[in-house]
Amino acid sequence: MPVTRIKEHPILGVQEKGNRIRFTFDGKEVEGYEGEPIAAALKAAGLMVHRYTKKEHKPRGIFCAIGRCTDCVMVVDGIPNVRTCITPLKSGMDVRTQYGVSDKPFDKQ
Amino acid sequence: MNRYDLIIVGAGPSGLSAAIEAAKRGMKVVVFDENEKPGGQLFKQIHKFFGSKEHRAKVRGFVIGQQLLDEADEVGVEVVLNATVIGLYQDKEVVVKIGDEVIHYKGDSIIIATGAAENMVTFPGWTLPGVIGAGAAQTMMNLHGVKPGQRVLMLGSGNVGLVVSFQLMQCGCEVVALVDAAPRVGGYGVHAAKVARTGVPFYLSHTIVKAEGDNKVTGVTIAQVDSSFKFIPGTEKHFEVDTICLAVGLSPMSQLLKMAGCEMEDNPKRGGQVPICDEYGRTSIAGIFVAGDVSGIEEASSAMIEGRMAGVVAAEYLGYVRAEEMEAELSVLDNALDGLRQGMFAPKNRGKEIAKTEEGIDISKNLLLHGFVGDDEIERFPGVTHKVGVHPVMECTQNIPCNPCQDACKKGCISIGANITSLPIVVDNSQCINCGMCVASCSGQAIFLVDEDCGDGTATVTLPYEFLPLPEVGAKGKGLGRNGQIVCDAQVVSVKSAKAFDKTNLLTIRVPKEYAMKARFFKAV
Repeated sequence: MPVTRIKEHPILGVQEKGNRIRFTFDGKEVEGYEGEPIAAALKAAGLMVHRYTKKEHKPRGIFCAIGRCTDCVMVVDGIPNVRTCITPLKSGMDVRTQYGVSDKPFDKQ
Repeated sequence: MNRYDLIIVGAGPSGLSAAIEAAKRGMKVVVFDENEKPGGQLFKQIHKFFGSKEHRAKVRGFVIGQQLLDEADEVGVEVVLNATVIGLYQDKEVVVKIGDEVIHYKGDSIIIATGAAENMVTFPGWTLPGVIGAGAAQTMMNLHGVKPGQRVLMLGSGNVGLVVSFQLMQCGCEVVALVDAAPRVGGYGVHAAKVARTGVPFYLSHTIVKAEGDNKVTGVTIAQVDSSFKFIPGTEKHFEVDTICLAVGLSPMSQLLKMAGCEMEDNPKRGGQVPICDEYGRTSIAGIFVAGDVSGIEEASSAMIEGRMAGVVAAEYLGYVRAEEMEAELSVLDNALDGLRQGMFAPKNRGKEIAKTEEGIDISKNLLLHGFVGDDEIERFPGVTHKVGVHPVMECTQNIPCNPCQDACKKGCISIGANITSLPIVVDNSQCINCGMCVASCSGQAIFLVDEDCGDGTATVTLPYEFLPLPEVGAKGKGLGRNGQIVCDAQVVSVKSAKAFDKTNLLTIRVPKEYAMKARFFKAV
C-alpha cells in the first residue's frame, strides 16, 4: 500500500500527533492517532468508501473534509450520520460503513 | 440570556481581526465558530503571503494565524469553539448550538464573518470517493498530515488551484495535470510558473468529461472545450489518477444575513448572494456588520483589514470610540486595503482581459495559456537584465500588489517604488552580494540569482526550493526550463537554509552557460 502519512514536510516539519491507538473499521482492527479526525485515520489506512447512498447504493467518501457536505458520514459506536471528517478518533471506536442510514448491508436490511 | 456588546460569527482572519479592534476599545466581545480550532482557513495556508510589510507580506499564512490568535488572547477576546450559530433573529438575538444544547445570546452589535464555501462542478463520476475539494486537500495534508492521494488531477487554475497544486507536490503527491475550462490561467502568473517549472502540464480550455472507477477514482478523462464550453470531439485525454481535486471558486456563506432580514443582492463580481453594505461593512440593519469573504470573495489579507474596519465601526456604533477617532483609524485602513486592491487581479478588474502591464509591456501569452513565460518573452520584463557576476533575475511579469523584494535587498539592487504593483527593476550600478534574501523573500518564487558566465563555460543559477528531500551539494541531475522540460545537465553546487529564509531553501546549480537564462528548476536523477 502506498505511504499516505506525511513523515516530514518541507514547511511544516514533522507534525505532532497524539497517541497511536487502535479502533475498528467494519470489525477489523485499524491503527490511527488519538484526536485526529476519524476520516484522516481511514484515509491513512487506504480506506476510501465511507458509505453507500440509500436509493442508488452509490459509494461516497471524503469530499469537503470540514464538516459541511456530509458525504463522509458513517455509523460510529452505533450512531449513524456521524461526520467522520470532524469527529476526533478515540481508542476502541467502532466505525462502520453506512448503508443508507444503517450499518447493515442492503441485502440484510 | 447572556448579553455581549459585540457578537462575532466566525473566528477566521476577518472575525478575529474585528474582535481585536473591538476588544481593544473596551467592548465585551465573543466570537463563535463551528470548528474545533480557530483561524478559519489561515492554518492551511503554508505559502508566503503577498502585499507589503503592513499586510504581513512574505509571512506564511499559518504564522499569521498564530499571530492573530496571540493578539486576540492579549486583548481578552473570548472565542467559543464547536459553536454553530443556527439563527440570527430580530433585535440581534443569536442562537447557538454548542454540543447538544441550543443557547440564546443577545448582542448589542453583530459582525458576520462566516467566510465562504467552495463551489463544485458536476460530471459523470463526480460523487466517487477520490473526488475532493481543494479545501479538503489542504485540510488533509496541512492540518492532519495525510496525503490526499498519490496521483492527482487539479481542476481550476485560479490562485487556489495553483497554490494547492504546489502544496500537493510539497507533501509528496504527483500532480499529473492542471485543467481549466477557461481559456486563460486565472490566478497569479508567479503561482502558475512555480508549478509549471516542476513539469506539471497545463490544459486550458479543457474540462473533465468523466471520472472513472467503481468504488473509487481510478482515472479521469478530460477534453478540450470550444468558446461556448462544449466538448470538441476527438480531443479527449486520459490520466490514471486516484484523486481529482476541484478548485472552482468560492461562494459567500451569507445565509445568516438573509435570515436576519438584511437587504441582499446577487452580485457575480462579489461571488454570489451578498449583503448590500457600505465600504466598512454596515449592512441595511443598523448594528449588523459584515467583514471578509461573506460580503465578497477576496483573500485573507484583505479580509483581515475589512475585519479591523468592521471592529472599529461597531465600536463607534455603540459609543466606545468617537466619530473623529473612527474616521482617522478608517483612513489608515482604507489606504492599506486600497494597496491590496490594485493591479491586474484587483476586484475591479475581475473578468477583464488585460493585454499590457501598467508599464506598457505585452503580457506573456504563454503564461496565460500554459502557465510559464516563454524563453522568447522573458527578456522584455524590467526585472530581467544581464550583468557580469552574480545578479538578481526577477521573473515578475504581472502587476500584483507585492513588494517584499525591494526591502529584502540591503544593497539597494531592487526597486519597485511607491506604486506597490509596479514590476521590480534592477537598479543601475548596484552591487549584488549574492546574499539570497531576495530569492527567499519573493512570495511568488520568481527571483533567481544568476551568474551568466563563470569563466569556465558554465553558469550558476540560484533558485528557491521548498521540497523534500533537499538535494545535497554535488548531486547531479537535470536543469528544467520554465516549461518543466529537461533542458540541460545540472549539478548542485550550494544549498543554503537560513532562519531568515523561512523554510525557502536556496539551491545553486551549475549549468552550461548557454542555459543560464533557461534553467529554472532542478530535478535529481
